[in-house]
Amino acid sequence: MPAITALPEQANRYPPGDLAIWIFILAELLVFALFFAAYAFTRMQHVALFNEYQQQLDRRAALINTLALITSSYFVVRAVAAIREGLSHYCVRWLLAALSMGALFLAVKSVEYAHHFGQGINLSTNDFYMFYLSLTFFHFMHVIMGMVILAAVAWKAYRGGYSATEHTGVETGASYWHMVDLVWLILFPLVYVMR
Amino acid sequence: MKQGPNKTLGLRPCSWVYLFLMSFTVVTFLIGQLGLSGLDVALGVLLLALIKGQLVGAYFMGLGSLRGFWRWPVFIWLFVPGILIGTAFCLAA
Repeated sequence: MPAITALPEQANRYPPGDLAIWIFILAELLVFALFFAAYAFTRMQHVALFNEYQQQLDRRAALINTLALITSSYFVVRAVAAIREGLSHYCVRWLLAALSMGALFLAVKSVEYAHHFGQGINLSTNDFYMFYLSLTFFHFMHVIMGMVILAAVAWKAYRGGYSATEHTGVETGASYWHMVDLVWLILFPLVYVMR
Repeated sequence: MKQGPNKTLGLRPCSWVYLFLMSFTVVTFLIGQLGLSGLDVALGVLLLALIKGQLVGAYFMGLGSLRGFWRWPVFIWLFVPGILIGTAFCLAA
């Protein structure tokens, strides 16, 4: 009979954070996946329209937003690394830095929306804008939700609520924030670049 | 200064991933700015996005070091919509 060998220390079976958030994340990812597929198959029937109106989007704003979200995700990774070493004050600083990047995203996206709405563009303008506005606004709401979670985690970390041995809350908030980033990494090329 | 075993050229793996993600994003943006279009370009941009997603899942979310079920959901999430989006663009071409 072969000997039972222990798994490597780093090879865990469960993702970081509370398992419940991962069920929630998978549900959210499923909804976004359906949205992406619907966009792509609707575009198939209106290629010229989608290509024309895609060119009217502010791709520079989308670039800034993508870089902001990736940077915020990186800051969150560093926050988790800090708390795993018991460095609460560094964890708080990284989380605040991530929140500032999230705020930048919201500000840039709000300017984009103001520009569109100022031009009289809304959900019923055409199929492209229906998808663009719904997809990006749905994601926008997730960014706000993620920032609320990160702010709550940062506040608890500031109050000394996490340690090197107990930091599930930080990992849970981080996982949600990475999901927000992950979704945008597909949304950006799909809506702003691919034609 | 002695470096830890999880660092390469003084950078943590997550820092390397961050630099790759930023670079890939700029490449994607430039493709858009240059007005490059067509099926090959679209599929290339999509592939780049899927690689970025996998890097986030594996390194930022920490799923790359897992064993069993939880290693795969993000990969599958990227793969299935990726196939659907790619198919739709192929059919539209």
